[in-house]
Amino acid sequence: MEKYNFSDQREATALQNFRRTAQSMGHEFDFLFREGIPEIPRYDAVFIRATTDPLFTSYVVSKTAWELGKRVIDDPESIQICGNKIHLYDLFERHDVPHIPTMFLNKEDLHHKRLVEVFETLGKPIVVKAPYTSFSKYVEKVACETSFRDVAKRYFRKSDMLAVQTFMPTAFDWRVGVLNRRTLYVCKYMIPKGRWKHGAKRRGKPTFVWGRTVALKTENAPSKLKEVALKACDVIGHGLYGVDIKEFNGSYVVVEVNDNPSIYAGYEDSRNTDLYGKIIEYLVD
Amino acid sequence: MKDFTLNLNNDYRYLKTGYYVSMHAEVLGNRVIPSSESIIAASRTPILLLKASKAGIPTVPYLVTGSVQNIISELGFPLVVFAVNPFCYDGYRIARNRSALYRAVRGLSMNYKFAVCAQPLRGEMVSFKSVFGRCGLEGEVARVSMRVYRVFQLPICKLHVQKVGREAYLCGLQPLRIEEVLPADLETVGEEVSRMSRMGEHLVG
Repeated sequence: MEKYNFSDQREATALQNFRRTAQSMGHEFDFLFREGIPEIPRYDAVFIRATTDPLFTSYVVSKTAWELGKRVIDDPESIQICGNKIHLYDLFERHDVPHIPTMFLNKEDLHHKRLVEVFETLGKPIVVKAPYTSFSKYVEKVACETSFRDVAKRYFRKSDMLAVQTFMPTAFDWRVGVLNRRTLYVCKYMIPKGRWKHGAKRRGKPTFVWGRTVALKTENAPSKLKEVALKACDVIGHGLYGVDIKEFNGSYVVVEVNDNPSIYAGYEDSRNTDLYGKIIEYLVD
Repeated sequence: MKDFTLNLNNDYRYLKTGYYVSMHAEVLGNRVIPSSESIIAASRTPILLLKASKAGIPTVPYLVTGSVQNIISELGFPLVVFAVNPFCYDGYRIARNRSALYRAVRGLSMNYKFAVCAQPLRGEMVSFKSVFGRCGLEGEVARVSMRVYRVFQLPICKLHVQKVGREAYLCGLQPLRIEEVLPADLETVGEEVSRMSRMGEHLVG
């Protein structure tokens, strides 16, 4: 865990729900922070609730637990794949997972001829994504070559590649929670009015505005939606994932698969209250 | 047809071209040296040490923490400290007293934002290039270099090892700068590529 996991009351409540559920099932459940890393060998399983990335401490925790033979959510391979959108979309292409039309660019592609090709192929505007995007950060919409160069130069400081995608405006993104190749919960992440993604930065301020979350019972969600979500997770692994999907012209396309998906009390769990028990069960299995 | 990809680069850092080459080869189903998993593992010091010790490579105990107090109470002095953050890939700091440790942890943890990996310093630190495990040194240091290559298979890298008497203990690994790669290293690379071809590997790229 990181301390910021407790800064939002709904996430803090969800974490207490995990603890209460585990204890009611006869297990011990402790919150470990960064200082607790040396304690990992004492536990049977590790459930990471922090921003994951192969460069962050959370990956060290995951890999350490994995190497010690523990059950771990998120496992290191899932962090490696989901934490890098180039890896993710490369796998989607390879395994025919329906996803938003995507092109990969490297630094040498940042010239007029190539950028004209990109706009001709994907249309205008396009979405530029840094491989390490999470929580709607490092994703920007651009409609001209000048803006594209500005964004790309920033993202290329850290990564030698980036992804560009067709812009698909929708009123909401589906979020399908998947655990061990089964649907765990389904939500609609609404796009705030006048914005184009679920979490958007307020103009001139460091804070974000988030759209509403509308939960559905999993059995009431379209079966084709669940099928696409499961197919996307199949190419990654069998951990816990949050699959973002757009419904566009009657078909479903995967936006991305996230490891360590948000679980906030009253949001993701509101129509699927058993998700806590299912996750604990998977951890101790 | 499945190929074998030998990905040669002086810099295998995550998110850099050296990483993406291995990642893409794996997605295509090819066997690749080094694997993307090894690239990440080798660049995170605690994972490097954990995997190495599991494979029988000598290492010293280590502590991953952001707390100076924990380091002092668990390991004492002197110490060698490595960064565990997304921005530092090179070098280490040696701390022989409390104020030096505070300075080292503060710098390597980026003002206590990230953890560090501390190890007791029992001998002398030796840093050297390893090209396909060959390092031009002798004894236990050379043995550690070759064993690290067998486990992680990073063709070109720099290793940090502690020499304690005749023993050698792995401490860390980092990428090489391009100017550190000399013509003699390229000759070693050439020999190894020829050896792999003779052994029947079909190399691409």
